[in-house]
Amino acid sequence: MKKINRKEFLHQISLLTGGMGMGLSNFDAKAYTSTPLAFTQNLAAGNVLVIIQMSGGNDGLNTVIPAEDDLYFSARPTISIKKEVALPVENGMYLHPSMTGLKKLFDDDKVSIVQNVGYANPNRSHFRATDIWNSASDSGTIWDDGWAGRYLSQIYPEFPIKLPKHPMAIQLGSVESLLFQSHRGGFATVFDDPNLFYQLVNGSVADNDLPPATLAGEELAFLKQIASASLQYSTIIKDTANKGKNIQSYPNTSLSKQLSIVAKLISGGLETPIYLANIGGFDTHANQINSHANLLKTLSDAITNFQIDIQNLGLADRVCVMTYSEFGRRVNQNGTAGTDHGTAAPMIFVGNTVKSGLIGSNPNLKVLDSSGDLKYQFDFRQTYTTVLRDHLGATNSSAASLFTGNFERLPIFKSSPDSISDAGSIDMANPWPNPASISTFIQYTVHQSQEVFLAIYDLSGKLINVLVHEIKEKGEYNVSIDVSGWNKGHYIVTLLGSSGKRMTKNLMIN
Amino acid sequence: MASAEGSISSLVKKLLQDKSIPEAPNSWVSTTPAQIQQDNGSASTWYKEFTIWWNQLMFKESLSIREKMVLFLHNHFSNERDKVNYPQYMYQQNQLLRKFALGNFKQLVKEICTDPSMLIYLDGNNSRGPQPNENFARELFELFTLGIGNYSETDIKQAAKAVSGWQVKGLESVFDSTRWYKETTLSIFGKTAQFTVNSLIDLVFEQKATAEFICRKLYKEFVYYKPNEAFVQEMATVFKVNNFELKPLLEFLLTSEEFYKASYQGSKIKNPQELIIGTCKLLELPKPDTNNWYDMAIILQMQLFNPPNVAGWPGQRNWISSTTYSFRGGFTDSLINGKRYNGAAVTGKLDTLPYIRTFLNAEKVDLLVEDYFFYAFPIPLSKTRKDQLLQTILSGTIVSNWTTYIAMADTRVNSFLKALMRLPEFQLC
Repeated sequence: MKKINRKEFLHQISLLTGGMGMGLSNFDAKAYTSTPLAFTQNLAAGNVLVIIQMSGGNDGLNTVIPAEDDLYFSARPTISIKKEVALPVENGMYLHPSMTGLKKLFDDDKVSIVQNVGYANPNRSHFRATDIWNSASDSGTIWDDGWAGRYLSQIYPEFPIKLPKHPMAIQLGSVESLLFQSHRGGFATVFDDPNLFYQLVNGSVADNDLPPATLAGEELAFLKQIASASLQYSTIIKDTANKGKNIQSYPNTSLSKQLSIVAKLISGGLETPIYLANIGGFDTHANQINSHANLLKTLSDAITNFQIDIQNLGLADRVCVMTYSEFGRRVNQNGTAGTDHGTAAPMIFVGNTVKSGLIGSNPNLKVLDSSGDLKYQFDFRQTYTTVLRDHLGATNSSAASLFTGNFERLPIFKSSPDSISDAGSIDMANPWPNPASISTFIQYTVHQSQEVFLAIYDLSGKLINVLVHEIKEKGEYNVSIDVSGWNKGHYIVTLLGSSGKRMTKNLMIN
Repeated sequence: MASAEGSISSLVKKLLQDKSIPEAPNSWVSTTPAQIQQDNGSASTWYKEFTIWWNQLMFKESLSIREKMVLFLHNHFSNERDKVNYPQYMYQQNQLLRKFALGNFKQLVKEICTDPSMLIYLDGNNSRGPQPNENFARELFELFTLGIGNYSETDIKQAAKAVSGWQVKGLESVFDSTRWYKETTLSIFGKTAQFTVNSLIDLVFEQKATAEFICRKLYKEFVYYKPNEAFVQEMATVFKVNNFELKPLLEFLLTSEEFYKASYQGSKIKNPQELIIGTCKLLELPKPDTNNWYDMAIILQMQLFNPPNVAGWPGQRNWISSTTYSFRGGFTDSLINGKRYNGAAVTGKLDTLPYIRTFLNAEKVDLLVEDYFFYAFPIPLSKTRKDQLLQTILSGTIVSNWTTYIAMADTRVNSFLKALMRLPEFQLC
C-alpha cells in the first residue's frame, strides 16, 4: 500500500469532513475545483463483476473432468470420478457430480468454462501463486498492487483525494485482498454484514489531525484512511442493503451468504462495480474425495442460487460471476488419496451474457511438464482482459496498460464487440521511464484532429504542469518532461481530448 | 548512557530467563484421541479451554518474553485446528514451542518434523517414500526455514522422500522404515546421501538463507515490518555463531541500538491478541471475561490455533480492514460498558473510579490525562487530540472543579477511556 504524505492525508480527510477548518496555508483548497479530473465512470452501463476466489488450489481435473480419457483414470486410481456418475457438458468433458446447479445453468446457456488457464513458469507456493493471480504479474516479477486496484485507479482518478458516493469495490470477509490494492491505497470496503458494519462504525468520529512524519505516522495515516472510508460507506451500504432484497432463498453456507449480500446490494442500487467473495479449503492433499465434493457442491449451489436470484430481480444482464484459484493440482494422485500442488486449471464464468461452452482443448494428460503437471493453454490475463473489455467496458489500451501488454480475448461472452473503439479518439501510453527521477517521456496518439489538453497533477489535485494545450492533427506525439527537482511521490498524467475522451496514467517520481 | 545500558541488559536478562513449563489445562491432554470426542463435541470444548488457558498465561505473564515467543513460533509453525481436530496434538505442539521458545531453533525444527500435529496438518502422516506427499517438504523449505526462491522443485521432491515414513499413532509419531523411500541415496541441494529427517535439517541449516530467513522474521516482529537487511545480516551472524540458539540472538537484538531507535517507536499495529490481552492489562482488570476474549479474537481474525493458512497471520496492516477496525472499537468499549457490540453481557468490566484513583494525579485532571496518554500510547498525541480528550473527561466542568468525587465522575472517566481507546493511535504499539 502506498504511503500517503501529510498533505495528501489532510486533503482526503478534509474532504471527508466537509473540507472545513483546515487552516493550512500551503494548501489551496480551490486548486482542485479547476482541474478536469471529474469522475467519469466509463463503466459499461453499471455492469458488475463478482469474483469468487477458491483458496487452496482447486483440483481442476476433478472439477471439469476428462472422464473419457484413460490416462485420467490411470493417473488417479482411487480418486477419479467415473463417467457414469459425472455430468456431461461437451466434447468428452464432464462436471463433478455434485455440481448439478452449474450443469443446469450450462444447459441454459449461462456458463462458460475456460480450460487450462495458467501462466509461464508456474509457481506452486500458495502465497506467491495467489499474489501472481491477484497482481496479474509475470511469474518472475513481484508487483505489490492488484489488477483490480489498478483498474479502479483508472476509473476513480480522484481517489484517495475524494471518495465517490458509492464504495469502489466490496470484499465480503475481514482481511483486504491484494486484488484491490493500488499505489493510491486500498479500494475495497471490507465487511461481513451490512447492518452490523454500520452499527460498529457508529461511535467513531472522523478527525482531521495530522499524523506525525514518522514511521508510526505512516501506520497512523493508514489506520485513519480505513476509519474514514468505513465512516463514509457504512451508511450507504446499510441503506442499500435494507432497500434491496433477495427473492431466492440460499443454502446456509458462508459463500451463499456472501453472494446473497451481493445480490441485495446490487438490487438496492449500489453502484459498486467489483465484488470479491471467498471460499477456502481447496488444498486437498489427502483423502480428497468427500471434502472436494462438498466444496464443489457449496460452490455450485451458491452460484446457482445467486444467478436465479439476480434473474428474478431483473439484474442478471448486468452481472457476471468469475471464479479463480491459485493453481490446479497434480495429475497423478499422491499416496494419501489426495493431490499435490499443480498448475493450469479451468475457470468458470456465469451470467446471462455469458455464452455456454468449453473454451480450449481438453487437458492434455500425455504431455506434462517436468513435475508431472499440466501445461497451460491460456494465460490467466486473457480472461481478465476479456471481462474488463467485454463486461466492464474497458478499452483495449486501458486493459493492456494493466498488464504487461496486450492479451488476446477469449469468446466467453455472447457479444465481444471491438467495444468502445479507440479510433476517432486519443490514446496515451504509460510514461517511460516510470518511476522517473530526471526525465520521462509521454507518448500519445491523436486518431482524429482535435483540441488536446495534457497535464500533470499531484495526488492532492494540484496542477503541476500543462504540457500541451492546442489543436493537434492526427498523429503520434512525444513529450519529454524534466522532473528533476520535483517532490518524490505519485503524480497523475491526464490527457483530455475535445472529442470527450479522457485518460489518466500514474507517474512516480523517486 | 553506561548506566542506562546496564539497566537495559539486566532487564533483558530477566526477560529471557528460563521458566518452568506450566501445568496442563486439564487431564484430557493425555487421553488418546478417539472418534467419540469428535462426535460429542468435546474437541471443540477442549480447544476453547486450551485457548483460554494460553490466554491466561499471556495475561499473567510478568517480565518474561516467553509467551510472546510461543505466539511468534505458533505463527511461524502455523497449524490450523480445523485440520488438527484433536486438541491433544495441538497442546503437545504448544508445549514443544514453549520448551524451545528460548532454546535451539535447529533442534526445534527437527522435532517439529515429527510432531504429530504438524504431521497431520501438512499431510506428512502416512506419506510413503515411493509416492510421497509433497506438502510437508514444500512448507518446511518455503515457510519454516529457507524462504521462497532458495530451493528447486527437485529439492522438494527429494526432501519429501526423506521426511516420509512417519505415522501418527495414539498420541505419538512413529517411524516405519517399510514406508520410507527405497532409493539408496537422495540428492538435495547438490549433496547426495541417504537423508533422514535429522540429516536433512542439518543440511538445511547449512544453507545461508536459513539463518537470514528466521532473523528477518524476528526483526519484523520485534522492530519494524520492513526489515533493515544490513542488521538482519548481523543477526544471522550472531545466530550462526551461537549454533542457532534463540536466547543469545534475542539478547543481541534486544540490547542493540537498532532496537531502541526512536524512529521505529509506535510503528507496529497491535495484533488482536495484543489488543485484547494488552487492553485488559492496561485497565488492570482483575477478572476479565474470557469468553469475550475468545469470541472477539475470532472476529478480529486471530483465533489461536486457527491461523488463516500455513503461512500464519501476515500481520501489520493486514489486521485492519473496515470491519476489523470497527470491531476493535466495539471490543474496547465492552470492557468499560460491560456490554458487547450485540448487547450481550461482558463480565469483569472496569471498576472505573478505584482504577483511576490508583493514578498519582487522579485528582488533578490535566496532569491525569497527560499521565494516561504517556501510559497508553507509544507516540505523543497532538495538541488537538489532547484537548478533545480533556474536554471529554471534563464534559462541562472545568479543570479546577475536578475531583474523582464530583457527580458522574465515573461516567466522565468512562467516556474518556472509550474515546481514547477508539483513537487510531491506540492500535499502535
